[in-house]
Amino acid sequence: MNQFVLTQGSSDELRLFPHIIESGIVKNSSVNLNAFPKIAVSGVKFFYVLDGKFQVNIHRAAFTLYPGDIALVLPGQEFGSSNEVLEIGSFTWLHIEAGRQEKDEIILDKWSSLSGNEIIAISKILFLSSPVVITKFNEAGKILKCIQQELFSQEIGFYARVNYQIDELFIQITRGLARQNNPGRDFAKTFIKLEEALRVDLSHQWTVDAMAALVGLGNTLFNEKVKSYTGFSPLNYLINIRISEAIKLLKNKNIPITEIALDTGFYSSQHFSTTFKKLTGFTPGEFRKNNSYTE
Amino acid sequence: MKCIITIELGTNAVRIFAFDLNGITIGSMKGYYPTFHSQPDYSEQDPEQVFITMLYVLKNLLNEKVHPKKYKVASVCFSSSMHSTLAVDKHGIPLGNAFTWADNRAKKEAIEIKESSLADAMYNSTGTPLHPMSPMLKIAWMKKNDKQKFQQTGKFLSIKSYVVHQLTGEYMIDYSLACASGMLNIRKIAWEPEALNFAGITSDKLPQLVPVFATAGTLKKAYQNSFGLSADTKILIGSSDGCMATLGAGIWNSDMATITIEDSSAVRVVGNKILHDEKKRIFNYLLTEDCFVSGGPSNSGGGTFEWFAKQFGDFTTAYDIETCMNSLLQEATKISTGSGGLLFLPYLLGERAPIWNPDARGMYFGINIKHERQHFIRATIEGILYEMYSIGKMLSEHKNISALSANGSFASIPFCTQILADMFNIPVHVTSNANSVSIGAFLLAATEMGIFKSLDEAAGQIEIAQSYSPAENDHKTYMKYFEIFESLSNKLGDEFARITELQ
Repeated sequence: MNQFVLTQGSSDELRLFPHIIESGIVKNSSVNLNAFPKIAVSGVKFFYVLDGKFQVNIHRAAFTLYPGDIALVLPGQEFGSSNEVLEIGSFTWLHIEAGRQEKDEIILDKWSSLSGNEIIAISKILFLSSPVVITKFNEAGKILKCIQQELFSQEIGFYARVNYQIDELFIQITRGLARQNNPGRDFAKTFIKLEEALRVDLSHQWTVDAMAALVGLGNTLFNEKVKSYTGFSPLNYLINIRISEAIKLLKNKNIPITEIALDTGFYSSQHFSTTFKKLTGFTPGEFRKNNSYTE
Repeated sequence: MKCIITIELGTNAVRIFAFDLNGITIGSMKGYYPTFHSQPDYSEQDPEQVFITMLYVLKNLLNEKVHPKKYKVASVCFSSSMHSTLAVDKHGIPLGNAFTWADNRAKKEAIEIKESSLADAMYNSTGTPLHPMSPMLKIAWMKKNDKQKFQQTGKFLSIKSYVVHQLTGEYMIDYSLACASGMLNIRKIAWEPEALNFAGITSDKLPQLVPVFATAGTLKKAYQNSFGLSADTKILIGSSDGCMATLGAGIWNSDMATITIEDSSAVRVVGNKILHDEKKRIFNYLLTEDCFVSGGPSNSGGGTFEWFAKQFGDFTTAYDIETCMNSLLQEATKISTGSGGLLFLPYLLGERAPIWNPDARGMYFGINIKHERQHFIRATIEGILYEMYSIGKMLSEHKNISALSANGSFASIPFCTQILADMFNIPVHVTSNANSVSIGAFLLAATEMGIFKSLDEAAGQIEIAQSYSPAENDHKTYMKYFEIFESLSNKLGDEFARITELQ
């Protein structure tokens, strides 16, 4: 394809797609000083290299991107070159509107057919892997090309196809990341990473889907691997961590039990109390009484 | 029907077994807990997670395998990995994580005491090599580097003592695990004042010393209810994993030695005498008043081979590390004894026995243009096993060894067991049950119940499943290479230190 830039508001092709801010292909034939400054990105930007070599800076981390590499800039992250220079080569990009909730969650508008849970899981993985760069990821290039062709040709069903392909881009990048994170050879190492991610955000309502996706395994295999490695199902293992952390907090009298329950990921103090008692034989209150002392 | 439960608080996981009184396994389960490495040389575990994991696994085992079959639990016997150190305040609440055996932060303290005039007397009274793994040195480190925690500490415990305290409210440690603290005088069976002095503590900061057969109090009421156990279920303090692996391997007061190779490894002998090594290389753990488990631990083992598999294994066809390691083993068998003159020093994690050099590093030596991938595979395996031989050789300076009992996931691979037989030039026996730590704890509990008259008699129950005879020719080949292996290990001291400095 030749060079082009479609911009929201001025390009007719984007009239039906208010969520697409910009898309295009640029062939840069000479070094351009000050053409690529670091700018905080609103929404999500996909940047894919077609030819040449680009030094980019994503969220304060430096990368060199080669043909076939894709970078994904998440809402609020900075993107550009640290010396503002745009090097020789060609690239394509897609910039879409997307919000960001507290807890690192991407919000997509109604155009997306990803379910709420899927978006949560995808956001989780993207933010945990941030800055997101996948090398030699031709699939992404194909999808971007397909989106752009649909925008120009406007054949029947193009509205659905464009939006579907953007979802597809999110899905493929997330899966690609998970695969890149874990080539499957070293489950012990993979498990340590998962452990860390769980601990960092213990109050998150983790699902098996999200945990499996995070380490790049299908649900069934993930369950099986965790079970054989730890002796527990993934959710039961998570309960171990939650209760262990809760015990430490309970031994400190100053934190109310309800707060401990929520901080450690139980959805209510009732849920916490039942699980705690089932495991230890004590209710959290009894446990605290037995383990605190008046000075 | 009565049964015995054994709980092994291991390096990475708790393993719980239920045995009937004939030693037949009713069921077993394990539960993993993580090790945290927040800085180089730091290796920590969360005592609460260890405890909760133990509770969870025990409860599942009881509910799924023991209670449905109407077994009555007669006793619960503990064993655990050695050298862990946990500071708790005066109410028993942990002051942070426990330091595991692999924690090396007390390096400086180890050098200090090794070079001091105390070293000989200390080894003589405690029978334990001076190494950063020692809780004595970890406490000394804390005193210097974490003053606030040191001052708040009511007791310095092992992870096992902590878990037992949670269950019964008693602070206890058995002789054998206390030996691993480097603070027990094994000749007087009491805390060694010089060692406490070096650590900067008094004996009231340590749990009560008890024999391995001691009952560690009564299970708290809430746990009785929660587990469905009665108040007369005995909670036995038990021993360490090393001592129990030795008992479970069935060698006792004989001229046999055990070789255990899991991730790391050890060679051990049992006898009624302390093996006093001039070079302070041998540990002596007191199990009962007239019984010592002596030997040498190594940082190399199955973990070293796993490292090799991860780096150089073929993962295009193998799905996981196990299949990959198996196919590497297959390839290794195609190369003849001695790997065509390629030698491997397995010191990826530094080394304990016999060279006791934390700065030691690995190396392949003697590479020539004809060496292929497969030579490296076999050389790696041989290197790990030469190290076992060199510990055995050190022990045989003090005690005749006429046969070996091999256990652990790496040593019991037939290819490896045969190499051990050839290197040592003596028969190697493999016992029928791979879980020698749990079997050992069962034998200890059964002896306490009077089922066996003595640990001697108990150890005699262990059946040999398979024996491997040495091949004379292979032995000769191995010995030629071993000479070079040994001289390299000793010669490279300076280079080891310099390369470690740069890493």
